[in-house]
Amino acid sequence: MLQVNNLTKNFKDTVAVNNVSFNVEPGKIFGMLGPNGAGKTTTIRMMLNIIKPSFGSILFEGKPFSKEFFNITGYLPEERGLYKKSKVLDTLLYFAGLKNMDMKSAISESTKWLRKLEIENYKDKKVEELSKGNQQKIQFISTVLHNPKLLIFDEPFGGFDPINQQLIKDILLSFVDSGKTIILSTHQMDIAEKLCSDIFLINKGKQVCSGSLAQIKRNFGTNTIRIGFEGDASFLSSDPSVIRFDYFSNYAEVQLKDNIKPDYFLKTIIDKINITQFSIIEPTLNKIFIDAIKENSD
Amino acid sequence: MNKTVIIAKWEYLEKIKTKTFIISLFLTPAIIIGFALAPTLISDRQDDSTKAIGIIDTSGIYFKPLIRNVEKFKLANGQPNYLLINLAGNKKNLGELKKSGDENTLSGKLEGYLLIRNFPDDSCGIEYRSKNAGNFMELSNLKEAFNNARIELKLSKEGINSSLMKFISNSVDIKAVKIEKGGEESKSDFIQLFFTSIIFIILLMMMVISSGGMLVRSLVEEKSNRLIEIIISSCSPNQLLAGKVLGLSALGLTQVFVWTLVGAALAGSAIVPPDVFNNILPVLLFFILGFIFYSAIFVGIGSIVSSEQEAQQITSYLSLTMMLPLAFALPAIENPNSTFVHVLSFIPFTIPAIMILRFNIGPIPIWELVISIIIMAISIYLSIFVAGKVFRVGILSYGKRPSLKEIMNWLKEE
Repeated sequence: MLQVNNLTKNFKDTVAVNNVSFNVEPGKIFGMLGPNGAGKTTTIRMMLNIIKPSFGSILFEGKPFSKEFFNITGYLPEERGLYKKSKVLDTLLYFAGLKNMDMKSAISESTKWLRKLEIENYKDKKVEELSKGNQQKIQFISTVLHNPKLLIFDEPFGGFDPINQQLIKDILLSFVDSGKTIILSTHQMDIAEKLCSDIFLINKGKQVCSGSLAQIKRNFGTNTIRIGFEGDASFLSSDPSVIRFDYFSNYAEVQLKDNIKPDYFLKTIIDKINITQFSIIEPTLNKIFIDAIKENSD
Repeated sequence: MNKTVIIAKWEYLEKIKTKTFIISLFLTPAIIIGFALAPTLISDRQDDSTKAIGIIDTSGIYFKPLIRNVEKFKLANGQPNYLLINLAGNKKNLGELKKSGDENTLSGKLEGYLLIRNFPDDSCGIEYRSKNAGNFMELSNLKEAFNNARIELKLSKEGINSSLMKFISNSVDIKAVKIEKGGEESKSDFIQLFFTSIIFIILLMMMVISSGGMLVRSLVEEKSNRLIEIIISSCSPNQLLAGKVLGLSALGLTQVFVWTLVGAALAGSAIVPPDVFNNILPVLLFFILGFIFYSAIFVGIGSIVSSEQEAQQITSYLSLTMMLPLAFALPAIENPNSTFVHVLSFIPFTIPAIMILRFNIGPIPIWELVISIIIMAISIYLSIFVAGKVFRVGILSYGKRPSLKEIMNWLKEE
């Protein structure tokens, strides 16, 4: 759906984004991850035509940027803010108007969303009279109101309590079901791990890795298993398949040689000890993130 | 609907609802008219009932001529303004006379009284004793009446005939008359010039400053909470710029419209002379040209600031600059034909103010008019072009204010 090729952005004497390329597939959640100042927001701004890239191209459904693009995207920036003195409904209708939505459907959609996020009775209040969480909800609604094809969320969960985070998560997943494409930029690895099917990791303006989450986990995987057992496991130290292992009272984490498949290893040990548990350990996205950034920085 | 219109509508409706706008809408004309009229109104205010003034004259010769000389002061309804009462009738000594005079004044029977002391060398000392020592109008009337009476007495004593006396004691006023094409003539004075020209120049400056300030503040708000990014990912910077300027101009025109209504309602009444609307069309033309020109400058400069503090600083500098044409306009009243004024008629910054003024001072040669309109049109085009370029980059730059060199680079950018 969105194709980014060799994107580069130079500011005065820094390279904010350095030659990154990735594809955003339709109907999926694309996770854009990276530490602070990595270049995520700059990349997003270029994708939205807010700033122009120094080099590289961005194609939307195979075509370069055009005015129609304005109306089919929804963008929630990381730093939030609304017109404080304006009324909630007026604000929503203004943003809907900016996205070329006609007044009638803008009103009915606003009402629908306000009800869905349980803030219907704030409709005629001024924004500044609302709590911070409710203001965030208003801004969320303004992002999705016009039923955009492509949604870009920069840290959408910041400022929400766990209940509302769940509410927003459910809404994001329902968007995927209805075929929308979502780009999610976040630091919260646990959420990214649960929601995203594709990942793009960026650090210091450079691409660290990108691809499907499953593939990345496999690449970063260390072929490690966990065995719960009863009996004497001291034979592990002399087993030729084992690189290293951590031995605990009733379980062990064992890293296997790259060419040894876990099920083969299971066969070789099944007679030696009484196995109560056997599982393959996948690295968490959090660990991948930290390791990759560390490796990249060294 | 066009996005420019949507933005203009939003800017207009959100600003017009604010209390500040509504207050300034009605307060501004009130203040301006107040400033213009207060001094004249206060000093010209006529009494509404006859005032009793006592006279204590030690010589006894002034009472009759004084009565003659206060006859010309009349109330609006034709009744005499002053009624003189001779307090020295029953020959008490001066101390007692003063005492009873003071009592009558304090009790309100008399407005006040004149204490006239004649000295042997023909000079005299006079006090006007009243509760209110600051009544200049009354004092100057009495002064005029007494001096005329005194001259009359002296002249008749010297045997000069009464017609000559009248001639000497009459002073003649000079009336200023402006000659217009077609042999018409009209009287001109400061009040008239104020209402036909200066008021428009002041209104123009105030409008530019207030709506320009609003524009800068709304840009700073949008920049600081990143709303600008949402807007810019929904429309082009040019649409945003055009929408904002359009909305603010509509706001400004609403102000002018209301103020004109106020003016029209007051026109013909004693406050606003009806001649205000004589040159209204050319004046409005330069008013609007000036407004667009100054607004574009505000937009360009306003888009590079990113904090409320900076905005305040920069708008106050700009406001001061905006007031300059007014300072230039005042000497132009005194000498509308000087080279200085002609030169100012070709400088874009001062064209609107000077032209608005010149329409009401005297005829302007057609060629000068055409050239100044052309200069204004070119300046507007250039200022919008430059402001648009600066705006496009400026709205997305945060933090440090860009240097002049950086801004020059923005102008070169595609």
